[in-house]
Amino acid sequence: MTGPTQKVIIVPCSGIGKPYGSVSRAAAYEVTEDLRPGQTQLVPLALLVLGDEESRSVVAACPAVTIDGCKLACAAKMVQQSGGTIAQEFAVLDVYRRYKDLKPQGIAELNEGGQKLARVLAEEVTVVVDGLITGKQGGENA
Amino acid sequence: MPDLPKKKVGIVSCSGEELPEGTVTRLAALKVLEQLRPADTVTICLPLFLAGGEGDRAFAKFYPTIAIDGCDKRCAARGTEMYSGKPAASIVISELVAERGLGKPEGKRRLNEAGQQVVDATAGQVAELVDELLQKNWNRTAGAVEETAAPEVQEAVQATCSCGSGIPVQDIVINGQTVTLIALPLIFQQFRDSGKPALPDTIRELLESVKIYNPIPPGEEDAYAASLSREYAAFCEQPGAVK
Repeated sequence: MTGPTQKVIIVPCSGIGKPYGSVSRAAAYEVTEDLRPGQTQLVPLALLVLGDEESRSVVAACPAVTIDGCKLACAAKMVQQSGGTIAQEFAVLDVYRRYKDLKPQGIAELNEGGQKLARVLAEEVTVVVDGLITGKQGGENA
Repeated sequence: MPDLPKKKVGIVSCSGEELPEGTVTRLAALKVLEQLRPADTVTICLPLFLAGGEGDRAFAKFYPTIAIDGCDKRCAARGTEMYSGKPAASIVISELVAERGLGKPEGKRRLNEAGQQVVDATAGQVAELVDELLQKNWNRTAGAVEETAAPEVQEAVQATCSCGSGIPVQDIVINGQTVTLIALPLIFQQFRDSGKPALPDTIRELLESVKIYNPIPPGEEDAYAASLSREYAAFCEQPGAVK
């Protein structure tokens, strides 16, 4: 996948046991609903777990950006197992290490730090999306 | 002495991102885990059944599990059954809304008032199911009933997942077949730390402990006992063992 693409798939882990999972989910919504709604599509991880054909087809046809909340990297692993191509893997922890003042707390409801971290992460994802849409970034597995 | 994991109920939500009902599953699960039944519940991320290890896949065999799904695709219930074990109970938000005549949840990122009401209703139902399941002695095979005291009011905590922590498992060979036994490393450790030697009385007791967490097919108890005797003797020979 080397040329420009029309759509980029965003797959967050939405992990339920840590605030980082909530950050992944919030960042995915920011990208797909606020920042690049026309160029991105959110694919629920649960559907990939179930092997949903429609979701697998979408993932197989477009480059994906995964956002994982912990080192187990469920989103990245599931996209790979579903036959998708990962253009970029994001780990919330890596972003947090660069923005130590934005400590996420709360799972059901993120604190202000978590919301800001999600915004920062979403902006980083957007850079990758723009690169894929314009064809200036390849879709190689990270 | 290491304690075997306390009996708890597992909660698995679909957390589907594309529907408000998916957000409801997530928030309802968290309400149970953090506020309503924090001492009695654990959770795991659904994808871990595929992306994790054998210990993660043992989750629904080890804990009676309640699946909470947003829609009739039932990803949590079906995924749990496919990769871990059949959930003990299952809730589908769209069905619960229809059954109770509740308002439709709206807002994937921030639920409307109707959505919040559905969260409360779902969490309440899950808490009731937790209480019911805790009153049953979930022995991973028959689910024999054992009455317990009424649940106490519990102090709120922040939810943590069981992702990656896994249930300790061990493979042993029984009648020429490799069998994965849930919690066996912890059971061996507990017996050894109690100074129990690998003698027939201990092996009988060991077998009973193993049966709490693992189904043993009818007529195979002697074969299990023989294998457990061999494995436990080897375990006791390891450094730090009680002779």
